Amino acid sequence: MENHPSRPTNLIKWFDPRHRSLGTWAFILNRLSGLGLTLYLFIHLIMLGQLAKGPEAYDGFIALVKNPVFLAGELLVVAAALIHGLNGIRIGITSFGIAGGKQKQLFIGFMTIAVIAIIYFAIRMFAH
Amino acid sequence: MKDGFDVTSRLGEGAGLWFLKILTGFLVIVVLVIHLIVNHLIVPGGLLSYADIVQYYQIPIIPMMEIVFLIFVVTHALIGLRSVLLDLRPSNILLQWINYGLGVLGIGSIAYGVWLVLVIVGRG
Amino acid sequence: MTQTWQVTFEIFRKKGDQPSFYDQFELEVDPDEYVLDGVERIWAFKDRSLVFSHACHHSTCGACGMLVNGVEKLTCITTIRSVTKDGGVIRVEPMRNFPVISDLSVDMTTFYQRMERVGQQPVVSVIYEDSKGKFDPDDDLLRLSDCIECGLCISACPIALTTSAYVGPAVLAGAQQSGDLNPCVLEIVDSENGAWRCHSAFECTEVCPSHVDPAWRIMNLRKQLVSRRIKKFFGVK
Repeated sequence: MENHPSRPTNLIKWFDPRHRSLGTWAFILNRLSGLGLTLYLFIHLIMLGQLAKGPEAYDGFIALVKNPVFLAGELLVVAAALIHGLNGIRIGITSFGIAGGKQKQLFIGFMTIAVIAIIYFAIRMFAH
Repeated sequence: MKDGFDVTSRLGEGAGLWFLKILTGFLVIVVLVIHLIVNHLIVPGGLLSYADIVQYYQIPIIPMMEIVFLIFVVTHALIGLRSVLLDLRPSNILLQWINYGLGVLGIGSIAYGVWLVLVIVGRG
Repeated sequence: MTQTWQVTFEIFRKKGDQPSFYDQFELEVDPDEYVLDGVERIWAFKDRSLVFSHACHHSTCGACGMLVNGVEKLTCITTIRSVTKDGGVIRVEPMRNFPVISDLSVDMTTFYQRMERVGQQPVVSVIYEDSKGKFDPDDDLLRLSDCIECGLCISACPIALTTSAYVGPAVLAGAQQSGDLNPCVLEIVDSENGAWRCHSAFECTEVCPSHVDPAWRIMNLRKQLVSRRIKKFFGVK
């Protein structure tokens, strides 16, 4: 039996939440945040290379990233990390059958915590 | 008894990699929490200048923690990335290239990170 | 007092290699009738070339699974009232992730072969099935097992969407239900196209019309597989 025909639209369907329920949202959020964080990881590693160039390079870099655009980007990273981390805890718990049937409630609970934390960090970062 | 089955390539993500992904994920959370608390809350000034960082890295536990963190994060990120790529159904040959590429990227990143940490420690 | 609604059915059509399209049929229906009744009336009185799978019409055979307004449903127990309103539209499409034979009928051959291979038990003790495998008394009443092999879970699964090599929730749930993890079964479930491929979207449990809870069963299966491996590692039988 051959694979059903490969359609490019299948890829986009990963991220299509229409007609789907909460679990798909978790899947989509986890996948997007994971990919975003991986990209950020490598950018971050490269940027830290600035440290090796000495104090002027690094301190100049720090001055640059106090710019609101960069701060917004950082907030996005924090948000992605919170979502991916909390969702990951949920996946880890359910994967070993510890959560019982409560995966939906876990998702709602964790995402609420994530939203609160994101708002907290946003206020802290932009309040000055 | 292979009726109705694709021949499995055995190059996908079996129990070992999946378990490593979950384990490193959990470890990342643990170390990340420590990393954030220490880096941004305990340290006075928040590590925003070159001098602060060099001084901070003189404490032996710090570079060790950062290296361990790097290993866990890179492992988790690349296994996760590989899972996503597997869902794109690469051919066996392409998958071997992906494995190779991710392996090089992973080891390269860890080596680069360790080098960077040692450079900073050495500046003190 | 029965009501009468005017409902438009948009039916997915596909014959052979022709491009697919949607046919519109206006029907007068009783909203408490089922979607399958509407499809059958269209076949009987409007278009005899419409092909669709159905048999028992009472949620036991698992033949009539389809996409109704984009959501997986067992059409013989899905009332028209629950998916639309008077004057509304019902879009009927075949299940995802199976090859389409014709119109609304899909090819379930590979799926059935896999279900047989994992040894899913069609008749089980009541307490064993109700407890999802926790209790296994020998002397209990018997009943038909929950899974009716309708394939809706596979249609809803985002991983099954990307590859037909992934055996899918029903098959993994069947392996967990059979309770017999012999090497033949392990070869497919303890593999990269088996239990480790699931990404916890939980859509399967969401659409299952029969209380199988495949997502929970996959997680329980993982627990069993992990403890097997640990035991093997330490040489415990």
